[in-house]
Amino acid sequence: MLVEFELIERARSGDDSAFNQIVQAYRKRILGTISRTIGRPEDVEDVGQEVFLRLYYSLDQLRTPEVFEPWLYRLTVNAAYDYLRRQRRRQESRMSDLSEQQVMLADAAAGSKRRDEEQRRTKIRELAQSLLGQVSEEDRILLTLKEVEGLSLKELEKIYRVNENALKVRLFRARQRVLKAFGARENREAVSKAGLGSVDDSE
Amino acid sequence: MDRMHDQGDKLDALFAEYRMACPDPEPSADFMPSMWKRIEARRIATVSVFRHWAQVCVMATLALTVLIGGVLIPRFQADPAANASYVEALMFEHSSDYIQMLTGGVR
Repeated sequence: MLVEFELIERARSGDDSAFNQIVQAYRKRILGTISRTIGRPEDVEDVGQEVFLRLYYSLDQLRTPEVFEPWLYRLTVNAAYDYLRRQRRRQESRMSDLSEQQVMLADAAAGSKRRDEEQRRTKIRELAQSLLGQVSEEDRILLTLKEVEGLSLKELEKIYRVNENALKVRLFRARQRVLKAFGARENREAVSKAGLGSVDDSE
Repeated sequence: MDRMHDQGDKLDALFAEYRMACPDPEPSADFMPSMWKRIEARRIATVSVFRHWAQVCVMATLALTVLIGGVLIPRFQADPAANASYVEALMFEHSSDYIQMLTGGVR
């Protein structure tokens, strides 16, 4: 826990300054989780504010301060899920936008070494996000929380209020789909490399 | 099988790199003020919804009062049975029996 139970109790009873302190303690962590889940840096703060807005208006429903963190993560999961669903409806080309933005960031970076490092990171982000895009929004979030955020099954059980076995099944299936896409991508890369090789040989 | 295992390891490594490639972002200076603005906006919206419903209820009550006072009560008062005394009402009700009795219809 990043804050004392007493602070949560104060916020529950309507103390805005206590709520402010809670937001300040958790916002960076929550923004990080959102950033890795939705993959659009420009919308991270917007979704983060939505999470804390929902927290503010649902804090009185919190049974005990002990379950605060899973509760906050549940709100984060729901806000990220709503965002991803809206994005899908808008039919936006998320990856190309991100790519352009990251390339611009990389261009702005001074020094070729730094630019190379930023480009490498951009590639990793694009690859990971395109692989996570192979599964449904729900599974994408679940997989990100488990594989990227490193949450344990016990923690996920508390967040999702679903038993561990059901989560294991969902995670296994989602991971298999991502793994399949990863394998297919590797095969394509291997084939294209081999193709390029043969061109070079002929020349 | 080994290939699958190998790819699983590579995927784990990719996720770990992805974690490092996306560090927790620093919130902007505008984060807290914007959040409080949104909280306030929601609060105002909720209050205005309640206010709207209260206005609807008041209007509905007024309309019902006008309907009862202007239409239903005068119509009720125009009914002769409503203005009659208990004895008169009984007489209206049984007037035909009484005539029948006088004319010998009832023995």
